[in-house]
Amino acid sequence: MGLPKVDTRYLFFTGKGGVGKTSLSCATGIALAESGKRVLIVSTDPASNLDEVLGSTLSAIPSPIPEVPGLYALNIDPEASAHAYRERMVSPYRGILPPAAIASMEEQFSGACTVEIAAFDEFSALLGDPDKTQDFDHVIFDTAPTGHTLRLLSLPSAWNGFIESSTGGASCLGPLAGLEKQRSLYAATVAQLADAQKTTVVLVSRPETSALREAERTSGELAELGIANQILAINGLFQAKPGNDAIADAMTRRAKEALESMPEKLTSLPRYDTPFVALGMVGIAALRSLIEPNVHTTPVSQSVANSPKLPTFNSLVNDLEKGGYGVIMTMGKGGVGKTTVAAAIAVALAQRGHPVLLSTTDPAAHVAVTIESPIHGLTVSRIDPAVEVERYRQDILEKTGKNLDANALAMLEEDLRSPCTEEIAVFRAFAKTVDEGKAAFVVLDTAPTGHTILLLDAAEAYHREVMRVQGDMPESVRQLLPRLRDPAYTRVIITTLAEATPVHEAERLQQDLARAGIKPYAWVINQSLLASGTRDPLLSERGRYEIPFIRKVAEELSARCALIPWLAEPPIGARGLARITDPAA
Amino acid sequence: MKKLEIYEPAMCCSTGVCGVDVDPVLVQFVADLQWLTEQGVVVARHNLSQEPQAFASNPDVVKEMEAGMDRLPVIVVDGHVVSTGVYLYRDQLATKLGLDENQANPKPHIKITESGCCKPSSGCC
Repeated sequence: MGLPKVDTRYLFFTGKGGVGKTSLSCATGIALAESGKRVLIVSTDPASNLDEVLGSTLSAIPSPIPEVPGLYALNIDPEASAHAYRERMVSPYRGILPPAAIASMEEQFSGACTVEIAAFDEFSALLGDPDKTQDFDHVIFDTAPTGHTLRLLSLPSAWNGFIESSTGGASCLGPLAGLEKQRSLYAATVAQLADAQKTTVVLVSRPETSALREAERTSGELAELGIANQILAINGLFQAKPGNDAIADAMTRRAKEALESMPEKLTSLPRYDTPFVALGMVGIAALRSLIEPNVHTTPVSQSVANSPKLPTFNSLVNDLEKGGYGVIMTMGKGGVGKTTVAAAIAVALAQRGHPVLLSTTDPAAHVAVTIESPIHGLTVSRIDPAVEVERYRQDILEKTGKNLDANALAMLEEDLRSPCTEEIAVFRAFAKTVDEGKAAFVVLDTAPTGHTILLLDAAEAYHREVMRVQGDMPESVRQLLPRLRDPAYTRVIITTLAEATPVHEAERLQQDLARAGIKPYAWVINQSLLASGTRDPLLSERGRYEIPFIRKVAEELSARCALIPWLAEPPIGARGLARITDPAA
Repeated sequence: MKKLEIYEPAMCCSTGVCGVDVDPVLVQFVADLQWLTEQGVVVARHNLSQEPQAFASNPDVVKEMEAGMDRLPVIVVDGHVVSTGVYLYRDQLATKLGLDENQANPKPHIKITESGCCKPSSGCC
């Protein structure tokens, strides 16, 4: 047991959303600061909650954390960075070029890659230029969810190749040409990351099979980028004496089994375990409890009388069934169980005799694993970015490639290798899946929040474009946004956990959806210990901690909501999933 | 030496592959420019989002944009505007530049729609 021991100057925390990257990076920062070091914690997550966790209002420059001498933190908001970058590029031409030209330039700098690249730009400024952080002994990066992090990290090597091989100005980095000047800075950033003397990557995982599998994938991908100095942090390890409580026994057993069957690549890494704690990791006091865990001797009290009565998941499925067709999308931060909830809905609808398509855009798709045996009426498909890109590539080459001479073809092939091709390809596949909902139920578990928003953002951009130019556009794309906005066609199920950060994140997601004109149909609170029936002291305490969050969701945030208890048997396969809908099954 | 300048709408890649659909006109245009370079023409391509300075410092181009953004692309040969709102084909470019047309392999001329490449709102950049 203990926090990761590190001696490198730079420290990265990476892992699936909700595994506790922010908690662990802050606790590690506090421990280092209290040992006399000067420490800077940096968040580059577009959905950062570093402010909340440290209980301080942060900005883009280091702010001291008053309760912990020597500890500083800063928040990089990639959207604000993108905005600043856009202003830097466009403002010199206001009043010189016609307003229509300015508007057209601004639009170019408003998309997804600008945000990504602007974030990396800020990140490089800290990592690639040691002078910027010379006042600190350690710089800790509480990074974005895995997929996003990897993209961020893999971009510079892609660019290094990209900029070099780019001829004739063919490059999707076009609007970011100004950044090419930063090339040496990016190269320095990559070098720092790969330098084992300077950088440690902490793979954070819960003691759960899916989270560990994700950590293994990340580990391999980072190693491929030359980042080999990795350690493993298992957060939230629960260990109870057997025989007292079914839920506590199941939780202890499941953690033990997950760790014992840990992917081989991870077993060779140095490992640090931190214990399960009853309270959410928000505030300095709570973070300190990770450094020196208190022994909880709270007496068992079952005063859950004031917990709200919530509709069961079964009644939510009943309501969904009445729709007869359409798209059901589960959305939420990574790690809250979107896939499980989507699969449970799909299985329940199929078992009631409806044809159902279950599809995922989650890069870490576990759908295939979640559902083992075929169920009558249920089709499972996956939107795999790599497959979609290849399909798009073939489609384009077939459609336009044959009329081109060798030079033009080479140019086209090169642009097809560009980073934004993936966004477009995945988006088209998403639109196509949504289209299937006109005849049957389509259940989608979407990718983590940030990506989902980008997807919808792209949908909005497409929509605007379609209104202006009636080009050669697939009908499914033309219909997408109106369908997502139609409550009879699309039902968004916000999935969350009864904890501070997940509820907060889900609330932000709901606000983002509102801006796109989409109102969620329902909220599902997953893995509730309060509803689990546990009598274990620590788990009961954790259950009581859930009450205000459940209340908030039921009374303030949702039109309808359902609670899924933490289940002693993992919800895997048709029977396991059916138990979510009907615990007696 | 002949100089050819192209002032293009804001777009992120010269083939348009990152838009909703690739515009074959643009893909071929890239190849045609390469061919012109091989014929000894000095070619400069300016994209509004990448090099606004080039637009701002050319009063003729600013005047065209004030008349309407659909005037882009503006094609300039040795300082004179020779066409607006259209990507010329290899044979037409050759004529404007006074090159031997026979060297050019003519292609059918298609009028393309506004901002063919990387539709500005495609979300790709």
